[in-house]
Amino acid sequence: MFKLLEGPQTLGRGKLFWSCVLAVLAGALVYPLFADSYDVGNFAYFLIWIFMALGLCLMWGYGGMLSFGQTLFFGIAGYGYGVLAINMGGGTATIAALVLSVALAMIAAGILGYFMIWGGINGIFFGIVTLSATLVLAFFLGQTAGPEWHIGPARLNGFNGMKGMDPLTVGDFYIEGSALYYVMIALIVIVYLALRMLVNSGIGNVIAATRENPQRAEMLGYDVRKYQLLTFVIGSGLAGLSGALYTSWGQFITPSSIGLPAAAMPIVWVAFSGRSDLTATLVGSFLLLFGFQTITVYSQQAALVLMGALLLATVMLAPQGFVLGIGKLVADRWRGRRRDDGTVMAEAGRLQSEES
Amino acid sequence: MSAEVFSLFYQFADVFAFLILSAAGLAIVFGMMGVINMAHGEFIMCGAYVTVGLVNLGVPLAISQILAALTAGLIGVLVEFLVVRRFYKRPLDSLLATWGLSLIVTQSMLLIVGSAVRGIGTPEGSFAIGGYTFSTYRLVLFGCAVAVLVALYIIFMKTRFGVIARATMQNAAMAKALGARTGRIYAISFGIGAGLAGLCGALYAPTMTLIPTMGATFVVESFVTVVIGGANVLLGTAPAAVFLAMIRMALNASYGQIIGQIGMLVAVILIVRVLPEGLSSVLARRGR
Amino acid sequence: MALVEVKGVSKRFGGLTAVSDVDLTVNAGEVHCLIGPNGAGKSTLFKLIVGLYPPSQGSILFDRVDITAERPYARVQRGMSIKMQAPSVFKELPVRQNIQIALQDRVSGAERISEEDRLLTLLNLTADSEKLAGALSHGQQQWLEIGMALALKPQLLLLDEPTAGMSPEETFKTGELVKSFNAEGMTVLVVEHDMAFVRQVAQRVTVLHLGKIFAHGDLESILQDENVAEIYLGKTHAH
Repeated sequence: MFKLLEGPQTLGRGKLFWSCVLAVLAGALVYPLFADSYDVGNFAYFLIWIFMALGLCLMWGYGGMLSFGQTLFFGIAGYGYGVLAINMGGGTATIAALVLSVALAMIAAGILGYFMIWGGINGIFFGIVTLSATLVLAFFLGQTAGPEWHIGPARLNGFNGMKGMDPLTVGDFYIEGSALYYVMIALIVIVYLALRMLVNSGIGNVIAATRENPQRAEMLGYDVRKYQLLTFVIGSGLAGLSGALYTSWGQFITPSSIGLPAAAMPIVWVAFSGRSDLTATLVGSFLLLFGFQTITVYSQQAALVLMGALLLATVMLAPQGFVLGIGKLVADRWRGRRRDDGTVMAEAGRLQSEES
Repeated sequence: MSAEVFSLFYQFADVFAFLILSAAGLAIVFGMMGVINMAHGEFIMCGAYVTVGLVNLGVPLAISQILAALTAGLIGVLVEFLVVRRFYKRPLDSLLATWGLSLIVTQSMLLIVGSAVRGIGTPEGSFAIGGYTFSTYRLVLFGCAVAVLVALYIIFMKTRFGVIARATMQNAAMAKALGARTGRIYAISFGIGAGLAGLCGALYAPTMTLIPTMGATFVVESFVTVVIGGANVLLGTAPAAVFLAMIRMALNASYGQIIGQIGMLVAVILIVRVLPEGLSSVLARRGR
Repeated sequence: MALVEVKGVSKRFGGLTAVSDVDLTVNAGEVHCLIGPNGAGKSTLFKLIVGLYPPSQGSILFDRVDITAERPYARVQRGMSIKMQAPSVFKELPVRQNIQIALQDRVSGAERISEEDRLLTLLNLTADSEKLAGALSHGQQQWLEIGMALALKPQLLLLDEPTAGMSPEETFKTGELVKSFNAEGMTVLVVEHDMAFVRQVAQRVTVLHLGKIFAHGDLESILQDENVAEIYLGKTHAH
């Protein structure tokens, strides 16, 4: 089963790659020992969004479904966590609230996905229908300021957002600060490895086949709609995980984390990083989140202008993504140095045989 | 009795105008080039700001609105030339590029102009039928929406440009081989699309608060209209707008704006499930 | 025994009737060729059997089960396998992975790898197995697709103009390949207009003309049929 960690669908293999992964992981694990707790909390905050990025990478890069609705499911699970945590009364029940809110996002994705995929929506329409749904949810939540908008004791509160839920808690122990940071690291490792195994498995093969040529995939006996729905539900569930963790982290959520420009952010991260590879998305998204947060301290608008410029620059200069492009370049150089002669000879041989 | 009927028509006309004016520009660009312009809302915003700026300088409203539409159209031609042109073979990338543009424009506007600008107020004027009062300007908007449809019909069906444009739409390579300058046609079409977006902003500028993010108010309506209308503005967008306006009107009246919007979205998703090729394909089949 | 039965099938596109009231039977174990001049409705009939279009009228049976309303994937799961006219492979994926995707539902583990190797050798693609499928030549892509169709071990292999764009040598080789599968018991239905290929492989032939069945019978009788020769020479039979 661990064989699936490496395969044609993912970059990075062999001892060197995994040594680098372990080194980064070790660095991440010891980081809180050397940093102050404020920085650790901030770090945990960047990591929250990684799940949403990985989910979009799966849907878009591997499945060929460009969803603009990542923040829709982020919002459903984010609000879902709040409502459930408030209604179920905090404590260890918050863990259940987390699980249920992610399940809620997946169910919503299942319903929306069913209608879109069975209705034959694909390509650019997939993006604009998911974005429309996202904006409608944001508008809806924006006008729930009145006291009549509540679910049990949980007030939705319109633009000001929902507050007052407990963070993730086990018994009397609030999972905050370094504890939250370690939970995040563990979740990212699990999700990253699980996604690598998924895309290199038989299911991953069919997901990629569906992206490349859905008709051919169907002609091999695969009901491509089911695979698309599966991809959409998993990707949206990951967006939901980000949403629930976000609400738990800050104990609030507002409609502005759903609507524009928030909805564009996952697209920027994944496009810039390189949508066709999980590792590139992981690394690139982290870098962008770090940069974005640093600039936001001075001016949020400036940070968003930069994000827009990066998106434009990516599609104009490196449509496959900057991080992926650089990664491939480094890998080629590395490999090139080791078997320069061999490949040159093989190339020459191939050319000769084509000429004859 | 006739007052009630007129009231129903008035509500329908209001929603219909909003749908047509916000979607026409997007639909033309999609129909001609297969590109969804994600900066559509920003062209609307541009039209609104130019209008308000000119009115505040003392230019009469109607002239300001025309100038605003022209400004948006010219900027559209420029954007086509600098950005969109590179992506005709990669429609998804054109979405991303225009979305990037949209982010840059809205956020820069927020940085430069700040959040709110002094509005100009809806032109006065109302009339009464039976016990009901109606705003004249809302009817003017309906008239403009109808005028836009008529103008598009004339441009695309009766002019030389229209013939070449429709040929390009059907088969760009063939049109090019026959000597049509497809590059120029695309630029003009994108300009018309942007100009119509600008017109939409110009017409609604007096009725709403101006903020740099106002484009978002229009995009859902324009998206869903184009999704079920398909690629043909006249055969698709117009009937789609009639249909959606009826749903919306019914829901708005009984449950309010937001439920109207949710209902419209749900209707679109259901329709797409039943008619995967969109409304225009059904109408086209009937027409044959 | 009839493996495929097409019963009274018609297909209309708007005002155009592409296929009109066609009956066709493909017996288990035979190589059946569907021929006819351009525009005869061959490809439409093929797509109806495959399930890419729903018929306007009539029904289609596979192994005595009515499959008229089934989608292509369900037909494939019943034992059909399809090679479309234009090469249709997963261009951005390596050649071996293309084959693997076709195989993975049927066999797994070491058995799958050896089956992959066997097919790659059969198709002369071993040296190119790590290349992206899109980098192969047109003829190689055609073969790769035939290989993917074979990987399913179908009862019925459906080929739509499998030799389009191939050189005469490649065409001949493809013919020999088809005959060898048939010898192993596979039923084959081929849409083709290359008569040399039809002579090479066909046991029974159905001629389609203007959307209708024009003639059918064994290869010899069709080759000697003067009316068939006439429609192929371009003289319109109706005059």
